[in-house]
Amino acid sequence: MKKLKFMAAALAVLLVSSASAATIEMNVNGLVCAFCAQGIEKRLRKLPATADVVVSLEQRLVAVALKDGQDISDADLRKALTDAGYKVIGIERSDESIAAVRARVKQDKP
Amino acid sequence: MRGSSRIVGALALAIPICTPAKPIAFADGTTVMAEYGAGTMKEIQIFYAPEYNYSVGGGHIEYDSVETPASQSITYLRLNYLLHRWNLESAQANIFVWGGAGSATGNAFRGAEFAGNAGAQADYETRRVYASVQTDWEGAADFSHRIDTLQLGIAPYEHDYNRLAAWFLVQARDYTGGLYRGTEWAALLRLFKGGAWVEAGVTNNGKLQAMAMFNF
Repeated sequence: MKKLKFMAAALAVLLVSSASAATIEMNVNGLVCAFCAQGIEKRLRKLPATADVVVSLEQRLVAVALKDGQDISDADLRKALTDAGYKVIGIERSDESIAAVRARVKQDKP
Repeated sequence: MRGSSRIVGALALAIPICTPAKPIAFADGTTVMAEYGAGTMKEIQIFYAPEYNYSVGGGHIEYDSVETPASQSITYLRLNYLLHRWNLESAQANIFVWGGAGSATGNAFRGAEFAGNAGAQADYETRRVYASVQTDWEGAADFSHRIDTLQLGIAPYEHDYNRLAAWFLVQARDYTGGLYRGTEWAALLRLFKGGAWVEAGVTNNGKLQAMAMFNF
């Protein structure tokens, strides 16, 4: 019974954490020029749950900030990037703000 | 890296020669381009891409032979299609094809003639290296021009989005159809930032070659 309660609690934490993800970061192949970034940004900004977008060619990173209480499924993100002509390698959700992601990307520049 | 080198080699062998800008920038994007080609051609184009892999639009091109007094003007419609794209970890390679039809006038024939156009481009690009080969044909009953272009470029630094990108390029261009005899060489500087792209340089004959392109 205790084990069951623990598992339920862990699942609840996971669900809350997933639902409250502020930013979704995607590792993307084929990001080599400004036009790639421009096309991806344009496509992602059309999604109703998108609050902001950061693209880093250096980090091969596309980050999407979500509007409060909203989410974009991994499948929808992969579709958006595929429809833009690029390949998503990985998707990670975090509570990091898009401003922090932007600052990190800027700091990581060689 | 070994894979990238293989692709460059394959592209160099696959198509006769090459060019600059991609005919499709991005999905739901409009591209406007103007090019001045060393006294032998002037061209303007506008294209809209509903999807990332095709665009439709039209343009106007004027050819002036440096070998003969012949000149032609062609207004055309065209479909560009991305045949295949390789999205690699730090590189991208593409094969594009295009074709269309229009109307041509010239000083060596009377009235307007039906004109066709077709071409292909293969390119490979990282943030430091660029290579492309392109072949572009325009023809009608009284003329046929094919321009093959090879471009090899290197970037002095790796640009990022919303930062100015600079490229140094060497271009070799071969003409058939009496526009120019031999291979024309050019050294070019390419700059782009956001959706704006400008390119300018000189040919081995000291003539200007320039291009401007805007994507939005």
